[in-house]
Amino acid sequence: MTSLRIFAVGGLISFRALFGFMSPWIFVPTLVVTPLFQILLFAYIGRSAGIQDDAFYVVGNAIQYAAVPCLFAMTFTIAGERFNQTLGPILVSPARRLPLFLGRSVPVIVNGAFVAALSLLLGSLVLDVEVPGSAIAPLALVIVLASASCTGLGLVLAGIGLRVREQAVMLNIVFGLLLVFTGANVPVDELPAWMEATSRLLPFTHAIEAARELVAGGTLDAVSGLLVRELAIGAVYAVLGYAFLRFMERQGRVHATLEKV
Amino acid sequence: MPPVVEAIDLHRTYKTTTGTFRRRSLEVEAVRGVSFEIAEGELFGLLGPNGAGKTTTIKMLITLLIPTAGQARVLGRDVVEDAHWVRERIGYVFGGDRGLYERLSALDNLRYFAELYGVEPKQQRARIHELLELVGLEGREKERVEGYSRGMRQRLHIARGLLHDPPVLFLDEPTIGVDPVGARELRSMIAGLKAAGKTVLLTTHYMFEADALCDRIAVVAKGKIVAEGTPRDLKASVAEGVVVEIEVYGIEEEKVEALRAIPGVTSVAVEDRDQAQVVVVQADTETEPTHAVLARLDGVSLGRVTTREPTLEDAYVALVTQE
Amino acid sequence: MSARAIRLARTGAVGWWMNLKMVSQSAFDGLLAILWPLFFGTVAFFMFRAGGDPETLVYASLGAAVMGVWTATSVPAGSALQRHRWNGTLELVVAAPTPFSLTLLSLTTATSTVGIYCMTATLLWGRFAFGIDVPFEDPVALAVAIPTTIVSIGLLGFLLAVAFARYRTAWTLGAMLEYPVWLVGGFLVPLSLFPDWVRPISWLLAPTWGMNAIRDAATGAGSAWPDIAMCVALGAGYTTAGVLVTNRVLAAARRRATLSLT
Repeated sequence: MTSLRIFAVGGLISFRALFGFMSPWIFVPTLVVTPLFQILLFAYIGRSAGIQDDAFYVVGNAIQYAAVPCLFAMTFTIAGERFNQTLGPILVSPARRLPLFLGRSVPVIVNGAFVAALSLLLGSLVLDVEVPGSAIAPLALVIVLASASCTGLGLVLAGIGLRVREQAVMLNIVFGLLLVFTGANVPVDELPAWMEATSRLLPFTHAIEAARELVAGGTLDAVSGLLVRELAIGAVYAVLGYAFLRFMERQGRVHATLEKV
Repeated sequence: MPPVVEAIDLHRTYKTTTGTFRRRSLEVEAVRGVSFEIAEGELFGLLGPNGAGKTTTIKMLITLLIPTAGQARVLGRDVVEDAHWVRERIGYVFGGDRGLYERLSALDNLRYFAELYGVEPKQQRARIHELLELVGLEGREKERVEGYSRGMRQRLHIARGLLHDPPVLFLDEPTIGVDPVGARELRSMIAGLKAAGKTVLLTTHYMFEADALCDRIAVVAKGKIVAEGTPRDLKASVAEGVVVEIEVYGIEEEKVEALRAIPGVTSVAVEDRDQAQVVVVQADTETEPTHAVLARLDGVSLGRVTTREPTLEDAYVALVTQE
Repeated sequence: MSARAIRLARTGAVGWWMNLKMVSQSAFDGLLAILWPLFFGTVAFFMFRAGGDPETLVYASLGAAVMGVWTATSVPAGSALQRHRWNGTLELVVAAPTPFSLTLLSLTTATSTVGIYCMTATLLWGRFAFGIDVPFEDPVALAVAIPTTIVSIGLLGFLLAVAFARYRTAWTLGAMLEYPVWLVGGFLVPLSLFPDWVRPISWLLAPTWGMNAIRDAATGAGSAWPDIAMCVALGAGYTTAGVLVTNRVLAAARRRATLSLT
């Protein structure tokens, strides 16, 4: 199978597996209702504390919540293979690894972007937040980049997830860290110095900043620097994640841990 | 003496749905008119292959399922109307790994179930230790169940089922998946229950187990009872007759049908054994089927051909495979 | 008290204790249960600090503490029946002479009891990381308000567990209610900020009253006792509704043969 086919077919099958599992009964509560309430929760806290405005919280939380589809789906796609005991057969195949793993990440990125966009839309409607028409296309780009960047992190976690039994715990903790550190609800420059430094190394931070500027009427040009940085961060995670997965694969073959659920 | 357990024309249908977009509902009749009685102190066996309806029947008797038709009584009381009364007097043990709280020790599991099943608080401690000794788990009761082997879990299940000293016990495939030595111990424990005066309903698909333990057996296939009697009665029903076994390497269905058509042949079954298949032909004593059989098998690759007397296993296979 | 009532109380207590043992055992789950409200609390603390009113920080600390109790209860409540089913113990428990609602109720109150760890951790975190000093103006009322809140949340969890029993994806429904109750229970946000139609919903939730009681008892802003009474009344209401629903669910399950299906 050529790399392109592995990329495309593997991605498509993974997509079907992902959405086959995702019945509306799971999708709607987890990826539509919950992010909306996260937006509402922080918007109201903001109102209660008398700081920022609703738009600040809608953008911040809509993007941050994409961590759920990106991180969880990526980890479970890989861990799911392990659970079904298909990981072994896949890794034994001669298929080249890069298109294999990348192919699997495409549906995750698409899903993540969709969830973020939907939350942004619903949050804006419910809280009456104005988004300028000119910002819509650039926002879509920002959202896709944010989702891709977080999925890169997802690859790293997927690798760790192969060794760890309590993946859900790890993922929830990372979600919480992203909530605190990415400026989703507290402007990054208001955080203590060490926290601010950390947040600049995480996905979402730059995308959220860019998205807020766009909603406030900024142009794509003005935020391009932020977007480049977001993309770079995501790429670094993706490379790390890929390397880590290859390493875990080798370890798994040495220590016979591949099939252990 | 009135029977302790009565099943009167029990029926149970399941509705399942298939498909995601166009949901179709299918009705599966798992139990289609099962009737039997168990007398006090009897060890009664429900013998049949997987999917025959044994577990469904048991679940109706232990109040977990409401029959779609028919009635069931335990100790004279209806299982649907008087479910609570019945529950206080029955024990339920099933095979497999599940059914215990993994994170708790065996002792805690028993304490919890003792409480749930209404054992008097003052008697709980003594009773639990008595049972642990009975099933051979004393000394290991403080360990967590997650570390237990299948055999140990089964023994713990039996202890659990006996906590409230029920007069009637329902054992659903209790030795399934247990190693031969462990299974033998479990069987002697089950025999001991009968000796202690309990009335036991045992389901199993192991014939030799039913033969060894049960006072009476009902053979169940496809939701109906196809034979009932003591193990000796069932063997007697096939003692006359002859069995011809022919090793073949692939056989077509038409040839099998042709064999069934031979006068005097009561059943034909094809079993997989190692590399080949074995065609088992049963016939009544009047017939000597070997020649007719070999004639119909012209063109099929044959291996060994043996003739022998029927066993209880043949009776069972004949009963459960007939249409 | 009749002998039967005493018996039931004892069985409930043993059930609660056993479930508490089981729930307390996973170190990782415990870690998450404690950390989760801390993340949200931390964000809230930063936000209120930026807002400049120190009293809101005290409220936030108490609110975040109770958030943990709700999370500890709501998420497992949705999946309680499902997990029993997978474990193979659902049938055994239903076939027992003890009423199933009592068994389920002792499970959900055990999970909400674990919330005590969350409460303690959150209050300590607020104290040491953000310097938030929570007063204890009325220790007696507080000593009553806290267990009352915890138990009534457990009873609400019981009602949820049976209400969602029919759905195979009940775990998502339980988890879905985590944020809404935080919001509508007034844990971090005064109820006056919400549109009027939200009020009745808040009032039907025991956590709202429990939160009020704890706040009043800690800060001395008002009397906690009426709120405690409301909590108890709602708890009784949830129990009654839950028992009724349980009986219907079980009867349906026995008819439709859904008890053992995974």
